[in-house]
Amino acid sequence: MTGELRVGFDVGGTFTDGVLMRGKDVVVKAKSLTTQDVTAGIVQALDALLNKSRVNPAEVAMVSLGTTHTTNALIERRNLNKVGIFRLGAPATTAIPPLTGWPEDLKQAISGTELVHVIRGGSEYDGRDIVPLDKQAIAEACRNMKGKVDSVAITGVFSPIISDHEEQAAEIVREVLGDDIHITLSHRIATISLLERENSAILNASVITVMQRAVNSLKTAVSERGITAPLFIVQNDGSVMSVDYAVDYPIFTVASGPAASVRGSVYLSGIEDGVVVDIGGTSTDVAYIVKGFPRESSITVTIGGVKTNIRCPDLLSIALGGGTIVKHQGEKVSALGPESVGYNLVRLGKSFGGPLLTVHDTAVALGKLDRKLEVFKTDFVTHPEKVNALPRKLIDNAWAAVKATIEEAIDKMKTTVEPVPAIFIGGGAMVVPKEGIAGVSKVLCPDHFEVGGAVGTTIAEIGAYAEGVVDLEKEDRDNAIARVTEQAKNNAKTAGAIRETVEVIDVEEIPFTYMPGKREKVRIRVKGKILR
Amino acid sequence: MKEKRVSARDILQEWDIKDFRVIDKQAISEITLGASILATGGGGDPEIGLLWTYKVLDEGKEILMVDPMEIPDEIQTASTACLGAALVLTEKPPSGGVLNLAIRRLEQYLGRPIQATIPIECGGVNSPVAYAAAGELGVPVIDVDGMNRAFPELQMTSWVTHGVHSSPTVSVDNRKNITVIDTGDDDVLAETLARRVAMAYGGISWIATYPLTGRQVKEASILNSQSIAWAAGHAVMCARQEHLDPIAELLKSLKKERDVEGFRVFRGKIVDIRREFGSETNKGFTLGQVIMEGIDEYKGQTASLDFQNEWLNLRVDGEVLCLPPDLIAILDSETGEPIRTDIMKYGYRGTIVLIPAHERMRTPKGIEMFGPRHFGYDLDYVPVETLNG
Repeated sequence: MTGELRVGFDVGGTFTDGVLMRGKDVVVKAKSLTTQDVTAGIVQALDALLNKSRVNPAEVAMVSLGTTHTTNALIERRNLNKVGIFRLGAPATTAIPPLTGWPEDLKQAISGTELVHVIRGGSEYDGRDIVPLDKQAIAEACRNMKGKVDSVAITGVFSPIISDHEEQAAEIVREVLGDDIHITLSHRIATISLLERENSAILNASVITVMQRAVNSLKTAVSERGITAPLFIVQNDGSVMSVDYAVDYPIFTVASGPAASVRGSVYLSGIEDGVVVDIGGTSTDVAYIVKGFPRESSITVTIGGVKTNIRCPDLLSIALGGGTIVKHQGEKVSALGPESVGYNLVRLGKSFGGPLLTVHDTAVALGKLDRKLEVFKTDFVTHPEKVNALPRKLIDNAWAAVKATIEEAIDKMKTTVEPVPAIFIGGGAMVVPKEGIAGVSKVLCPDHFEVGGAVGTTIAEIGAYAEGVVDLEKEDRDNAIARVTEQAKNNAKTAGAIRETVEVIDVEEIPFTYMPGKREKVRIRVKGKILR
Repeated sequence: MKEKRVSARDILQEWDIKDFRVIDKQAISEITLGASILATGGGGDPEIGLLWTYKVLDEGKEILMVDPMEIPDEIQTASTACLGAALVLTEKPPSGGVLNLAIRRLEQYLGRPIQATIPIECGGVNSPVAYAAAGELGVPVIDVDGMNRAFPELQMTSWVTHGVHSSPTVSVDNRKNITVIDTGDDDVLAETLARRVAMAYGGISWIATYPLTGRQVKEASILNSQSIAWAAGHAVMCARQEHLDPIAELLKSLKKERDVEGFRVFRGKIVDIRREFGSETNKGFTLGQVIMEGIDEYKGQTASLDFQNEWLNLRVDGEVLCLPPDLIAILDSETGEPIRTDIMKYGYRGTIVLIPAHERMRTPKGIEMFGPRHFGYDLDYVPVETLNG
């Protein structure tokens, strides 16, 4: 990639960060407020990059995006789609219906009891039907869903092995509800393990619109400015995928922002073991890094309070950012957030003459925003008199609450009692306490910390995988693995990688334990370079 | 059975038992974690059993656990369990009524009601399932099991080695198919039949088995097996919260509960998983070998473990360190989460911990039925504390 120009954006709930990189160097950086339509914020950041650097847009070889849209939507339960939920598995599986164990508010945000259906169908491990698919029941349920759902999630028992029932169900859904309804099929999302896969599929369906908006925004923004380079989005493992793929699989970007930030943090700080604390305007993500990579969650990954089997770095997202509203009664802080004023900070925050006290305002009041950063065009305070009028006791309490919240998050992620270094990045790093943080040996804010996530998006590789069930009585093991590997490499190529740079990073064989025969599932993960 | 059901509390009152433990969500999550650590690499995915039990609790049903020595001799108990392929279970959770159906049909066959459940083994699925069933039926759970670990086959229990039998066993599936297996005292045949039935059902069966009387429970079970698992799970969960070494806490807990020494013998990462289907295929089990390369102070050493659903034996640089029925656990060094044979992956890092099997599993009959020779090793059983003393 050396020498080639790459543009990276990190769209947070509050700010959109941009960088222009040449080889390993940050050429210019920019920050704009994330706008309601997302596009304008990206265009603004892009214009700033292009104006400052004076490069020819046609020379840009790659544009990549990291985003916290899906995560923020899920943790704030905002802008989520209403999801029609089908499980194909009755009479089996009914002991644990869909949405079991989900937080009540999330359940209500995306669904309702009339939208959840356990339908007779699904497959046995060997591909036989459990029972024939009850197509009538699906059509009937769809008619009742009309006008009540934005998307549909379909999960069939053993669909990773045989997806027929999911496909058939999707056809009926399209017939009744039309082509505009987005359909998520579970077998395209995750592997064996019904409940976790179903959760993943439902979550995916719930953030379709959020992702569509982000991707369309990026497309519009870059094409308006004459960039023709391919567009990518960072996925959970820190590699990137093409944006067209991401639109259908937003759940793979649920850790997009933090994954980019972790890459950026390690790159910028040179610290390989410690905690990364990425503080945005709306949320903060904490990751534990070991030898330069985020620790991966072992078996299940919890997203928005829901267990999934998506491969993901082990992250803790909390609703704390620069724009987080400090709720208080008199001088006592009753809660931090979870709501953030987000991009309305400049309208609603006390520092800007607004009515609401935010984390940003407490930092202003304490004089912590002494370091002027060129990427911020606005001043940090336009109405100092509003801030000065705040009771000092309240400010101290709010500051202490923020510190305690960060300390608690770091403590949850640490696996040792020993203090470890912490890297604070993201625009919000300026407005939170950095001294005397418990459990931490030192807090680092490396150069370009305020656009760390955007830097991270530009240094990723492309990842892909493939899986297949093989019968080792009929096929030699090495052949079977080679066949699936080939498929994975093709998938990587489809996703945008250069075929000959694609390498295998994981070979996984899942046997059908306790069963006779030599059947197993082979799953191969690969990654490859996007640019020469 | 037309008899009107009462609640677990009513039953305990009838038995004049005032001392019992109430199982809430926290308790069942600790018991399940402890059980999956003691499951010796097998025992299946705990998530399903756990969610099922949560659901039973959410429906307002009460789950109560009693000490085995308190129960009357003449009562009728039975075990409920899932028998079949762990991976199939993970993908195909049961329909709501399976345990109930199996128990009811067993009651019919026996001609008397089941008044308590007894977990069959320590495993991520079969431990919590006994609690879920107890909650659904309105009967207590007894603080015992038949292994204090997990084993691949139905007959590998202290119950069988102490002279009681799995028959009659009722095996049901989600479509309400029912099979009654009654092989009298031939427990190996019962296992063979039960496994064939599970395969015909689509890989998973739900069974009501080991109809034991109260007296048999006391004489033949691993007593307080549930408490041992509970304490182990509790110790590991506390260690996570307090950032203590979960493995040290686990070993302390076992010392306290069972007065045994566990051994931390290796730390490494999985570098090869060789799954051998071979001649053992027709038995219906996954066999294989895992190779781990040592890290930290074990650098340069190589560990190899054989497995038949559960880990069987451990060799480090060719030297035997553990033989069945003693327990082997590979635990995530940071969280204490067990790495199971069905989900282990290339690159997984873990610490190997060895735990002496319960004395009721180490009788001459036990060594014959599930010692090294039963699993095809030309080796005499040597206790893990001798091998590592």
